[in-house]
Amino acid sequence: MSLGGIDMLHVEITKQLAHYEMNIHFQMCSEILVLVGRSGSGKTTILNSIAGLTHPDSGMILSKEQTFYETGEKPLPARDRQIGYVFQDYALFPHKTVEKNIWFGVKKNRRKESNETIRELLHVLGIEHLLQKYPHQISGGEKQRVGLARALATQPSVLLLDEPLSALDRETRKLCQDELLRLHDRWKIPFIVVTHDLDEAERLGDRIIYLNEGQIQDEKWKKQLISTY
Amino acid sequence: MDYSPLLLSLKVAAISTFFVFIVGVFIAYLLAKRDFFGKSILEALFLLPLVLPPTVVGFGLLILFGKKGWIGSWLLEWFDFQIVFTWIGAVIASIVVSFPLMYQSAAAAFDSLDERLSNAARTMGASEWRVFWSVVFPLAWPGLLAGLVLSFARGLGEFGATLMLAGYIPGKTDTIPMAIYFAVESGQMEKATFWVVIIITFGFSLILWVNWWSKRNMRRFTKS
Amino acid sequence: MKRFLLSTLFVMLSIFLIGCSDTNKNTDATDQETPEAEILVSAAASLTDALEDLKADFEKANEGVTVTYNFGSSGKLATNIENGAPSDVFLSASSKDMNELEDKGLLIHESRKDFTENALVLIAHKDSDSTISSFEEIDPAALDHFAVGEPESVPVGRYTKETFENLDLWEPLKEKLVLGSDVRQVLTHVEMGNADYGVVYSSDAFVSDDVKVLAEADTDWHAPIVYPGAVVKDSKHQEAAQQFLDYLTGAEGKEALQKFGFK
Repeated sequence: MSLGGIDMLHVEITKQLAHYEMNIHFQMCSEILVLVGRSGSGKTTILNSIAGLTHPDSGMILSKEQTFYETGEKPLPARDRQIGYVFQDYALFPHKTVEKNIWFGVKKNRRKESNETIRELLHVLGIEHLLQKYPHQISGGEKQRVGLARALATQPSVLLLDEPLSALDRETRKLCQDELLRLHDRWKIPFIVVTHDLDEAERLGDRIIYLNEGQIQDEKWKKQLISTY
Repeated sequence: MDYSPLLLSLKVAAISTFFVFIVGVFIAYLLAKRDFFGKSILEALFLLPLVLPPTVVGFGLLILFGKKGWIGSWLLEWFDFQIVFTWIGAVIASIVVSFPLMYQSAAAAFDSLDERLSNAARTMGASEWRVFWSVVFPLAWPGLLAGLVLSFARGLGEFGATLMLAGYIPGKTDTIPMAIYFAVESGQMEKATFWVVIIITFGFSLILWVNWWSKRNMRRFTKS
Repeated sequence: MKRFLLSTLFVMLSIFLIGCSDTNKNTDATDQETPEAEILVSAAASLTDALEDLKADFEKANEGVTVTYNFGSSGKLATNIENGAPSDVFLSASSKDMNELEDKGLLIHESRKDFTENALVLIAHKDSDSTISSFEEIDPAALDHFAVGEPESVPVGRYTKETFENLDLWEPLKEKLVLGSDVRQVLTHVEMGNADYGVVYSSDAFVSDDVKVLAEADTDWHAPIVYPGAVVKDSKHQEAAQQFLDYLTGAEGKEALQKFGFK
């Protein structure tokens, strides 16, 4: 199923939601996987289950050799999963400067080695000049970049992005899409992007999963996508 | 003029606020965004002292903390420690009546927080302890401070339950409200007026200050 | 936040106001067209049980008159009446408060009458192992707390102070005195076992099952404890109020009062 090499993320989720039972099963490597579907189709629930903010009723979630979740066993707490999560509207800490936001997840004993990574991140994203600002003092596009930097600063093994670009205007959106692709090229970890925008899905995704009421309805790979250009 | 009521009132209100703040914040955070059977009943119970007549609260406290009370007799027997007719009794009465205000403020403050902020912290490896101290607490602080100040003001003004549990022993358990009450009762209007002016000035400026402070500081957290 | 603060303030304020308006009820109970009269009797707290007991008999004997009581310390009731709180009859536990109102012309002079007397007694909890049998035996060093009425505002407290001063006990006891806001509170402190001793009226000790009387104070030690009653001048039902006062001083009233330990 995957693009080659070993699976980096294995997701199998069964969960009773308000209006339907969700049944999802996919594996992935370091590609960009886009989850598309109407609101309420279960996209965010999948991200939250991977991040450990909610738990499936049964199933299995594995990342590399680590078991995040397995039926009947105590789930691995969110804080131990090494996940980068860019929330919808970014969820930046409003009372902390951009710098403090970005460094929040860096463990004390890893400060030194993270220094280089973060400097590079700031440079790639072009947000070095924002470090002393508070979130409410910067623009939407800047917030989005800070959110990305914050999520990647912890050197996660998976990056989850929940409607990361939906709050941006068209121009910024295109810029940020390119940036995401660049970052992915550089980071080479699984990216899971949730969106309801089909154009965006096709621009970003190596692979697109179409969701409907908690079921995988359709799945496409980049090759097929390219042929439809 | 004997100023001991002022010092005693401040001492009682400060100590009771200290406990009320810790316990109120802790319980409110524990219950926030959690739904379980009986939660509303528990919350109603917390708020009860706010609506009960002070004498009822005082009587209940006497049943618990009196010399022959459930807790009081035990404390007396094992630690030779008496609560009734001491300033500690005033602290306990004050804790009980101001707890609802602290709990309400804290619960409202925690409820209005965006849970994604704590979740974001969790995904970045923060322990629950760190989530609370570096995200939840600073963001809820304006609301918590409001509760703190209201509790303090309420503690400062507590009379009915205090009179029953702490008794009125001049020089020992006479808080400002007691000094006012007995001054009025005995027709010493000047003395009463003096204490009324003091307590109004205190309560009013406290509330004014916290209102001003929270308005000023809320701006930092809101998107502009 | 501001709205929350305001609403909390509002709630506190309303509770405060409701608490205050307590004494002002029955303001509109004065419908002069009908022969029915609802009279409000402001009475010293110590009279509570005796007055509740005779209420039904009085209302039966005087068709159309209903009685509502407002019990409190005499000082407080006097202050209320002075400040215009509605009241038809004032039954005081002390001449002092009655005199004050009379001097200000707030009472109907001719209606004033002493309707009963009371004695001062030393009480302890019924399970107390105290061996004291007179006021003179009180040893300030051998007790923790002594409950008395607040001497400036509660008549029983004033009489107690007079008594203790006569016995040179007031100063030595001062540190241990818990001052009650009315005689019932003094009784409660002893009943619940929180104060070792207390001084109340014999009528109060009489109705309580949880205290025992250790001694009665000599009448020479304090001013006579008479209960004067009078019709309030502003009363809209002076006739009915007078009827009530007459009933109280009559045979039935005496009987009811004696039943509850009054003299």
